[in-house]
Amino acid sequence: MAPARTPTRTRTRTRQRSRQRVTAPRNRAAAGFLLPFCLLFLACFIAPIGYALYQSMLKVERTGALGLGSETQVFAGLSNYTHALEDDRFVAGFGRVLLFGAVQVPVMILLATVLALLLESASARGVVFFRAAFFLPYGVPGVIASILWGFLYVPGISPLVDVLHGAGWEVDFLSDGTLLWSIANIVLWQFTGYNMLVLISQLKAVPGDLYEAARIDGANAWQVAWRIKLPLMRPALVLTTVFSIIGTLQLFSEPLVLRPLTGNVDTGYTPNLHAYDEAFKSNNYHGAAAEAVLLALVACVLSFGFLRLVGRSGKGDDR
Amino acid sequence: MTEVSTSRRTLLTASAATAAGLTLGACGSEDKSDTATERKPGEKITLMFWTWVPGIEKAVALWNKKNPDVQVKVEKVSPTNSAQYAKMHAALKAGNPPDLAQVEYQNIAEFLLDKGLLNLADHGAAEYRSKFVGWQWEQVVYDGGVYAIPQASGPMGMFYRHDLFRKWDIEPPATWDDYETAAKQIRKSGAYIGTFPASSGGWIASVAWQAGAQWFRTEGEKWIVGIDGEATRKVLTFWEGLVRGKLVKTIPVTQSAWYADIQSGDIVNWIGAQWGDALIKGNAPDTAGKWRAAPMPQWERGADASSNWGGSTTAVFTGAEHPKDAVDFAVWLNTDPESIDLLIKGGYGWPAAKQGFQGSSLDEASEFFDGQRYNEVFAASDKAVDTSWKWGPTTVPMFQHLTDELTEAMNGNASFTDAIGKVQKLVMDDMKEKGLKVEAA
Repeated sequence: MAPARTPTRTRTRTRQRSRQRVTAPRNRAAAGFLLPFCLLFLACFIAPIGYALYQSMLKVERTGALGLGSETQVFAGLSNYTHALEDDRFVAGFGRVLLFGAVQVPVMILLATVLALLLESASARGVVFFRAAFFLPYGVPGVIASILWGFLYVPGISPLVDVLHGAGWEVDFLSDGTLLWSIANIVLWQFTGYNMLVLISQLKAVPGDLYEAARIDGANAWQVAWRIKLPLMRPALVLTTVFSIIGTLQLFSEPLVLRPLTGNVDTGYTPNLHAYDEAFKSNNYHGAAAEAVLLALVACVLSFGFLRLVGRSGKGDDR
Repeated sequence: MTEVSTSRRTLLTASAATAAGLTLGACGSEDKSDTATERKPGEKITLMFWTWVPGIEKAVALWNKKNPDVQVKVEKVSPTNSAQYAKMHAALKAGNPPDLAQVEYQNIAEFLLDKGLLNLADHGAAEYRSKFVGWQWEQVVYDGGVYAIPQASGPMGMFYRHDLFRKWDIEPPATWDDYETAAKQIRKSGAYIGTFPASSGGWIASVAWQAGAQWFRTEGEKWIVGIDGEATRKVLTFWEGLVRGKLVKTIPVTQSAWYADIQSGDIVNWIGAQWGDALIKGNAPDTAGKWRAAPMPQWERGADASSNWGGSTTAVFTGAEHPKDAVDFAVWLNTDPESIDLLIKGGYGWPAAKQGFQGSSLDEASEFFDGQRYNEVFAASDKAVDTSWKWGPTTVPMFQHLTDELTEAMNGNASFTDAIGKVQKLVMDDMKEKGLKVEAA
């Protein structure tokens, strides 16, 4: 700010005037920049959610065995919701993805953290190559990755199964008990590199003087990682974990692609798959809408629950 | 579910078809209300046709050459995992369906619920009845209306490795008891007679159909559901015995693991439909000359009970502006000898037209099948199909229920008959959800 040469009152008045002059166009400009986002957000997010809520409270009534008589949409209240919650397979799907998430998310985040720390350590070699190599699977679309791994899981085709068989170990990657972990492996393969990259970018933002200071204070590499890097990576760790939780709940393309290979991917294997089957196999759009809303609710509760949890313990750290 | 079409070629074209699917919507965007009109003489029209049958473009091109005024445009849709029907239902809901579409017999009732199919009897289709095999025509008739023109089917039979059966001194099984005995003998040689494909609802329906099951019928306003009936229970108890005795595999058919077993001789027999010939030829070319075909095993020695697996029609969707021309095309496509010849070359299945088999390229000795005129087996099978079988209005989810419950049973948690009882209940629930009146048989 310029040094005050004019009398105080004048200066204040000028400032007020200039603020008035500036504010209106500035607000208009801000609104102009926000408008495209708001419109798209309304059209692509709020409107579909509203439509899904509306659809989830309707049902169809028909006359005639073949439905050739009349067909009317009537208000169904919450009956689609109770119907979904009474469906054992739909509910079991939630249990399955929660189990999946409880195991897969920590393993993946841990692995991503270790890789990020290794690549960002002072003694790392071939950093660019390894970073690209670890990140590469993320560039493969999920469906393609599932087809690829599918071939590695199918007995009679998979070299993996053959090798293990040769070693005297009979494994069926697609059996009732192993399938979930075979899917976890695909997701792990695909997303660890991505999460690693997010963590690395956070590490890159750490000012170099901190490391220098630590070294002067006599901290070894291990202590630098544990005392400086990890605490500073915290925001990125929270972010990747939340995204992973949401991604887990939305698990869909992997089981869908593996489905033709095994009967063990049932209709409620994941909640998303159940909603998809309800919409596109049973043509019950209303039931599918109710299931989608339920899934969104659970995702909300879990994500915000996790954020609150880390928020609280974060404050504890600040003390 | 769409087994008829799942040949290698189809799979290859599937991705291209999906890509092509993105570009449509240009046609049929005009207001397609119920204002069906007679085409004025000399007026040129274009009909949109959604299908996935390999090679069908050639037959359509022939029609287009002969009928410059009524051009038909083919859009390929993906038959994987019932994706084509999801797309068709969505198009109907959105109000821009194609004029014509490939619809399997088992899915006709499901489209009736959408009011998606035109009653072709209103457009002169009934007069063509005599051109088609009796039971196939019955598959498109609901409540006196004709809702599609039959195209092809999959009469059931049995493919087997003639060379290995001879080597092991095993006769092709004539009864299901023989089948079990043969299964045991084959196990001793290290191979398997076959697999129990819980994820092939169409196959399970066909083996139940052969035993005289009747899963659906209508009675006035009501659907009568008889999935959990004596015949189906008998068939599934038999297969449960084979599964629990580890006499058969439990992998899905027409998938990569099964193809690998067919190539390697780990599986030496297939109770399958006529269209399976192309799958074996295409996926296990090295086994040429080693296969033969025989009739399906029987429940009673000397009987000739048969059934069908897969098969489809050409249907006209509501909203088609020129239904008469659409019917003319559909009838020509499925009865004209030149068209049938082109469709057979593509591998569309067993002709629904009465005159389709005789004199066609199907009616020849095949080197792949050890010089056998193997299609005579299927011609006889086609004649013996029980005509009273009807499909319900929720076939796609019903097949999923069959897969789910039977797989759960195989994983050790229930008997196959418990599973079929559950399927019946789930199917009835689905139908009630649709606002239909349902009763157990």
